[in-house]
Amino acid sequence: MRKNKALTLYVVLVFSFLLIPLAIITVTAFGGESVIRFPISSFSLKWFVNVFKTHSFRKSFAASIIIAVTATLIAMLLGIPAAYALSKTKSRTSGFIKSLFLSPTIVPGIVIGFVLYQFLVITFKVPVYFGLLTGHFLVTLPYIIRVVGSSLEQFDFSVEEAAWSLGCRKPEAFFKVVLPNISSGISAAFMLSFINSFNNIPVSMFLTGPGVSAFPATLMNYIEYNYDPTVSAVSVLLMLCTMVLMIIVDRTLGIASMAG
Amino acid sequence: MAFVELNHVDVSYDKKKYILKGLNLHVKKGELVSLLGPSGCGKTTTLRVVGGFVENQGGEFILDGKNLTKVPVHKRNFGFVFQSYALFPHLSVYDNVAFGLKLRKLDKKVIDQKVKAVLEVCGLTEFSGRFPKQMSGGQRQRVALARALVIEPDLLLLDEPLSNLDAKLRINMRMEIKRIQKQLGITTLFVTHDQEECFSISDKVAVMNNGVIEQYDTPENIYRRPKTEFVARFIGFENFLKLKKKDDFVYQDDNETEFEVILAADSENACIGTIRPSDIEIADDSRIRNVLTGTIGVRTFLGQDYQYEVVLAQGDKFLVNLRTEEVYETGQSIRLHLPKEKLILVGKSVD
Amino acid sequence: MKKSNMYILVVPGLLILFVCMALPLLKVLLPTLVSGDYPLSSYVEFFKDEYYLKILIRTVKIALITTVVCMIMGIPASYFISRCEKKWRGLLLAVSIFPLMTNSVIRSFAWINILGSNGIINSIMKAAGMIDRPLKLLYTEFAIIVGSVYLFLPLMIVTVSGVMENIDNDMMEAAQSLGANRLISFMKVIFPLSLPGIIVGGILVFTGTLTAYTTPQLLGGNKNLVMSTLIYQRAMAVGDWSSAAVVALIMIILTVLVIRIFNGIAARLDQRGE
Repeated sequence: MRKNKALTLYVVLVFSFLLIPLAIITVTAFGGESVIRFPISSFSLKWFVNVFKTHSFRKSFAASIIIAVTATLIAMLLGIPAAYALSKTKSRTSGFIKSLFLSPTIVPGIVIGFVLYQFLVITFKVPVYFGLLTGHFLVTLPYIIRVVGSSLEQFDFSVEEAAWSLGCRKPEAFFKVVLPNISSGISAAFMLSFINSFNNIPVSMFLTGPGVSAFPATLMNYIEYNYDPTVSAVSVLLMLCTMVLMIIVDRTLGIASMAG
Repeated sequence: MAFVELNHVDVSYDKKKYILKGLNLHVKKGELVSLLGPSGCGKTTTLRVVGGFVENQGGEFILDGKNLTKVPVHKRNFGFVFQSYALFPHLSVYDNVAFGLKLRKLDKKVIDQKVKAVLEVCGLTEFSGRFPKQMSGGQRQRVALARALVIEPDLLLLDEPLSNLDAKLRINMRMEIKRIQKQLGITTLFVTHDQEECFSISDKVAVMNNGVIEQYDTPENIYRRPKTEFVARFIGFENFLKLKKKDDFVYQDDNETEFEVILAADSENACIGTIRPSDIEIADDSRIRNVLTGTIGVRTFLGQDYQYEVVLAQGDKFLVNLRTEEVYETGQSIRLHLPKEKLILVGKSVD
Repeated sequence: MKKSNMYILVVPGLLILFVCMALPLLKVLLPTLVSGDYPLSSYVEFFKDEYYLKILIRTVKIALITTVVCMIMGIPASYFISRCEKKWRGLLLAVSIFPLMTNSVIRSFAWINILGSNGIINSIMKAAGMIDRPLKLLYTEFAIIVGSVYLFLPLMIVTVSGVMENIDNDMMEAAQSLGANRLISFMKVIFPLSLPGIIVGGILVFTGTLTAYTTPQLLGGNKNLVMSTLIYQRAMAVGDWSSAAVVALIMIILTVLVIRIFNGIAARLDQRGE
């Protein structure tokens, strides 16, 4: 189709808007000065080193990873069977139940954090760590249901029936025939959940305490008191990880799956 | 003087593979011309070049003496009917049909008049307020046609308009199209892969293969005298024999059996003999010329005839339709007579 | 699948969901409905208070402006992507999605760099001699809007381009064959048919901006509170947990209301005809 020049120009501007700020951060990460400067006047890698040296970063990074993985695994344990059941029954009830599973998306993250803090931590004296875990579980569950659900939607269930007709018992058939064929959907769901849990801030804002802090929250605190390129360096590292994860998702399910 | 001219049209996206190569087509005003061929032959591309949706890399497109090669789609004033109908789902039948007229900034009353008139011609008056998703395939087809006709186009272009309809509807609709076309006298290009449909309503047919027109003639002429092996196959000729010219009207096959023909060959290249399965007869013992011997293979039942696959002495397989009064069994020997009036000479296809 | 079997697989998840979300929500938020002198008095107080009302209006205003800007920037971009050849489409989608996968702290931080008093815009303008003192771009509503647009534009692009991809190319060609140039074809055919998708995108952007925390906190600061930063401030800084709860419930109701209303409009407009 013959392309309109004005449209192309406009779109180029839009995409520049999206990418230039990130590019700027990347450049400042290599700056030699002690404050953030653009353009950089000298080149240095010391801020990257600083990232790894800072104790709070290391600790909260590990914490966020563990929480993201744990929350995602729990969500998968509960969510995959649910998604399976929902995809095999198509009725008003199952539609309603599906929307129940997706309901955490309607509640603002900050409210979830707030409510869990009050309920679990203050009222029931549950350790903050478990509150954080619960909050992140609520973040990841909808992703599992949605992505695994749509994978199952494209699954041809007559394959399962064939397994039954050949003598396979139902639970066995699920593990031998269904799961392997939706593995790409499951791994994509895992990645998406993990990324969204790791990146989540509102939920984590309230659920911090002595020794427990999510990585993004630590980052935010750092920014409020320091304005040096360490943050830029962290950003660059995180962006690299994101790119790697995106490539993995693309190889398994394709970029479009991330559009939800 | 032709109304529509395509002269030496080339279409290729990478200069290596040509979808259309040096295509020439001339259509007279008021004619209904069909482009017939298997998928991939270039018929749709040809139509879309005329419509302006596809740019040609070489050659020109001339309408009534004016060169329209570079004119953009929305300025061409052609009525295009898409295979999928492409009706606007968010507009009613009335608004779909009025769409083109509204763009031409005509008076509201005039638009109303024209839309109502064309809806009447196409039998759609009662559906005026309905939406496409509430209508059947045949009805949608008629809306697509009405929408294309109401703008009083210089050309009507139809891209396999009937292929999504069931058999009975197809037959009814093709007659409708022919009737409307004749009534309005509008020059029409029609793309299809269905030979019967094409032959039933066209004034002229262009049989296409691999981006080239192999034969362009009236349906009757093509039916009786296909020019190439491809065209012959396409219109129902099944049996092909390699022949060498011996004399005028006498040809020989590899076994030196002689064949007489009465229709002269078009060119020196026309050396393939072909005949319809239903034109072959049983040879009585006195015949020597125009005879092939073989053994009966598989027999299938066609209703009026049995169709026999006959394995010839030289190894080829021929398809022969014979009346059901006599039955021939597998393994039986048989002598086939190819009547000289029915044996046609065709050339090899252009590759 | 037998009904009973389905329930077995679904019940554990639902139970945990209830305990982890529904129960806490009810326990913390319901009391606000009856606290005070008469039922809903806390809410009446909220809406009577100028300070709170200002914040609510600010939040909605920011969300609205962000949504409109995202539409203006996003719809042409989505259209462009949907008409691209396959290989470019994947690349452009990936470029659009990448910011979505990046931490919102980073994305907001990017704008601190640009809008700050020592930031890029001010540096350039100072160097060009256009201003003497730095412009106050950061810690304003403007900054929040820019940051929010930056945050949610990819979401709009991804949603709308998906919808546009599903519109047959035939439609554009049909409109053109009837005499419409490309702009008119877009306005009269593609745009109306994409409206349901545009509305869905709008809902995502609006509710997202409404409930976002990071961007308003980093780019708006404590002088420009929105509902989500208000909750945090009320609870952690001031210790007024009950007001925070009131604000929380209002946020939820607002979100649900917006989703319901606009989903309804989208459903009614969905005439793509299946």
